[in-house]
Amino acid sequence: MRPLTMKRLLWTCGGLAVLLLASVVLALKLGAVPISVTDLVLDLGRIAIGRANELPTEYRLIVFDLRLPRVLLGILVGAALSVAGASFQALLRNPLADPYVLGVSSGAALGSILALMIAPEFALITPLGAFLGAIATIAGVYFLGSREGQLESTTLLLGGIICASFFSAIIMFLTTQLTGRDLRGIVFWLMGDLSTPVSAGMQWIFTVGLIVGIGAIYSTSADLNLLLTGEREATHLGVDVTRVKLVVYVSASLLTALAVSVSGAIGYVGLLVPHAVRLIFGSDYRLLIPASALCGAIAIVLADTLARTIVPPTELPVGAMTAMAGAPVFIYLLRRGLR
Amino acid sequence: MSAPDTFARTAGRREGRANHEQAVRLNVEQASYAYSASEQSVPTFTLGTTSFQAREREIVAILGPNASGKSTLLRLITGTIAPLSGRVELDGEETNRLDVKTRAQRIAVVHQESPIVYPALAGDFVLQGRFPYGRALRFANPEDIEIARNALAQVGGEHLSKRTIGELSGGEKQRVILARALAQQPRLILLDEPTLHLDIGAQVELLERLRQLAQENRYTVVVVTHELGLAAEFADQVVLLHHGRCLRVGPPAAVYQKELLEQVFDAPLDVELGPAGRPRVNLRARRGEDIT
Amino acid sequence: MRLVFLARLFYFYGRNSTLMAFESIPSTPNRLNAEFWRHRLAVFCARIAVLFLILCAGAIAGQTSVAHTALPAGRELTDEVGRKVQIPQEVDRVVSLAPNLTEIVFALGDGNHLAGDTDYCDYPEEAAQKPHVGGPVNPNLEEIVSLMPDLVLATKSINRRETVNALDHIGLPVYVTDPHSVEEMIASVEHLGSALGAEKSAAILAEDLRGRLSDLDRRLAGGAPRRVLFVVWTDPLISVGRGTFIADALRRAGGRSVVETKAEWPHVSLEEIVRLQPEVLVFASAHAGDTQRDIDALRTRPGWKNLQAMQHGNIVVVSDAINRPAPRMVDAIERLARALHPEAFTLPAAPAADSNPAISDSMMEEACACAR
Repeated sequence: MRPLTMKRLLWTCGGLAVLLLASVVLALKLGAVPISVTDLVLDLGRIAIGRANELPTEYRLIVFDLRLPRVLLGILVGAALSVAGASFQALLRNPLADPYVLGVSSGAALGSILALMIAPEFALITPLGAFLGAIATIAGVYFLGSREGQLESTTLLLGGIICASFFSAIIMFLTTQLTGRDLRGIVFWLMGDLSTPVSAGMQWIFTVGLIVGIGAIYSTSADLNLLLTGEREATHLGVDVTRVKLVVYVSASLLTALAVSVSGAIGYVGLLVPHAVRLIFGSDYRLLIPASALCGAIAIVLADTLARTIVPPTELPVGAMTAMAGAPVFIYLLRRGLR
Repeated sequence: MSAPDTFARTAGRREGRANHEQAVRLNVEQASYAYSASEQSVPTFTLGTTSFQAREREIVAILGPNASGKSTLLRLITGTIAPLSGRVELDGEETNRLDVKTRAQRIAVVHQESPIVYPALAGDFVLQGRFPYGRALRFANPEDIEIARNALAQVGGEHLSKRTIGELSGGEKQRVILARALAQQPRLILLDEPTLHLDIGAQVELLERLRQLAQENRYTVVVVTHELGLAAEFADQVVLLHHGRCLRVGPPAAVYQKELLEQVFDAPLDVELGPAGRPRVNLRARRGEDIT
Repeated sequence: MRLVFLARLFYFYGRNSTLMAFESIPSTPNRLNAEFWRHRLAVFCARIAVLFLILCAGAIAGQTSVAHTALPAGRELTDEVGRKVQIPQEVDRVVSLAPNLTEIVFALGDGNHLAGDTDYCDYPEEAAQKPHVGGPVNPNLEEIVSLMPDLVLATKSINRRETVNALDHIGLPVYVTDPHSVEEMIASVEHLGSALGAEKSAAILAEDLRGRLSDLDRRLAGGAPRRVLFVVWTDPLISVGRGTFIADALRRAGGRSVVETKAEWPHVSLEEIVRLQPEVLVFASAHAGDTQRDIDALRTRPGWKNLQAMQHGNIVVVSDAINRPAPRMVDAIERLARALHPEAFTLPAAPAADSNPAISDSMMEEACACAR
């Protein structure tokens, strides 16, 4: 690969952003009720200039109350998971790392189940419980994995796996205690599901959290390039390894926690999108981070559109789609050689 | 502000002192260290007080068998750990008090081969050496690229810049890693067992190059090794370590005493003085025959 | 407020990208340099693309929900889970999200108002012909919206809370039922009748159902309840807990489930059942023939063959209407009652409705020839 220049970075990101735009348009167009593209553009224009009331009612409901929020959520979740996956792969120096390897999703699942058992009537309880569970797991694994204030990769990995297994066991026990109705919701959540609309407040929280998280990780992207050659080597080249590892760990875990609390545990995206981007664009993290974010968003938007339209009128959960598409992609990448 | 400028400045400052003799660059003064599992328990390994000094253009060899404390001394010099007693100073500043960035601008460390997770181009790899001088995302500016290219040229690896690290031979990889260290424009270069995976020809080539670079660019070079022959041939000073104690410091001829070396390396040896005043070491089998 | 936030976001982003962009530009840009202008263009394009996405986000945040303005003044009802529901005066189009609710709508005579139901709504036959919106657990929200219903019916035991919340979010009124007993099922019929504006037919239907049930109570008044195991599933063995309407149906039919747990669908151990030795095993099925074969296969299995009920053939198969809290359930209860207490039915009983006939091995059904 040619060395990275600012120009190449911007061109690549610009191109990917255009692709993302195309996917968004496709997602808004397809569905149980077909919408034409020209109408869409005109209506977006009408909304922008404030004349929203002129649109036909159920059409507006479908596109702007149902599809657009869902697509936006998909973008946020896809970007968050891909960046988190790429970051963990650098932090743990392990190509098999994904956002859930440190136990965040199991903690979030446990949190949401406990929240459902305690206060089932409160509408926001599932994302709140999930987020709190995720935060508790992040803190727990940090304390398990740190030695003298330094995050050690192997210990961190082990701590995460132990937490994940432990929580999964508790979840299995609890699901036998739960009544049928709540169980169904949890099963969908565990598979990853974007069909639950999220309130506007939560969307903003998520967006801000995403920008802050990705921004923090991106600021260390040059350090991450060096960290991959080894921690000792990176220290001797001037990287403040302790600070970088802490920033990346907290930010990536936060991104995972946000994604998981609104959409459940959508699998494969965090693992495969960074590898696919590496195959095409190289492993320079200054390009990998924004490219993964954009490609992850595209992947989730397309997967969600497929999940909505492949077996009408039933909706499949997004996680099922990414798993079905993810496995063959994973096999292909393995044969190419994970690079 | 690039490194050559800082050189000129500090060199100017030092002119006031000793013009005719080169100033001491690396000063290890009674430095010691102890590893222990916890605060209360007995130390598992101790490095006793060690002192030596190194000047510009000098090659110092830290010599000793395995587990003699070489790595600990190395880490004291790089400032990764702080000495329990004594001081380690580079140009008057204690190494462990420096911040990571400044340290990287002054000291370059060449480690043994570490597994590369994601391969990169050799050219990019060498560019990583410019990290301590950049800011933010560190997109390479023309000056950095020039310095990196120079560094590769100095190790004779210009033709390697477009190749991936993974496909290089051991010797070529060593050269690229050295080039990265040179790109840091350091004052002190530390090498940790650099000859482990190299064949004899490559070993000699590496050390000759180091001597040449030290002369031209006024580096101080410290090599940690257990190779008796190489240290004798190329080092200006030798620091002999044994079980965490510094037994002797001095030019090779002074350190290479037969009884001392036999005790340290636990092998029957013969030492003779070669031409140019450098000692040569021969192994002797237990039965008394010569194995050279 | 949001505009201020957006403006600051734009400014910050613009400033950042400008700074980053010019970090690697030579200090004296030559404005005639093509390289320079291509660079500027790249920055510009990238920024526009991202700004568009932020604009979309702003559009979503700034929109107001439609249905609050579009809904004509109606009535406010409280549904069976305590939610307040705004229902229009005239309910013309209804979407049902559960099979039992579809049955109730048809039983109330409002079948023509049903605009859509689920894939699993199979009774009556017209229900299967209606437009489908997907399964009860994951219906397609867009389909529901495109049918333009005035009211959506859901039930707590089958539909997900998230679906109800989503429909709320869009502004469609949802009435949620939650019957735990046969009496509550009849009450649901009345509630739905009032929601749909079919109070009269609801009252008639409720009276009929209650009448039949009290008739049943009278007949069964003397006898002791039979100890019953209701088998939902065989591998693993799942029965019903005491809070379910199935358990209540068993009670009304003169039986008592040997399984008394709080959990709704408990996994019970076969050993425990062998220890309890229920008098009768009850299976529910839509296809009597298949079930008969399955039961025959069970006879030889360990554990099952130790059950006296299995050995003596005290097995009753009722129609799966007993699983759905709808009027047909009462038919199934009557059949079950006959099978459990044949001695109470020596007098001619009221005619049964047109559901699957119950099969039993040695307990003969009092096939009332006069009734048909």
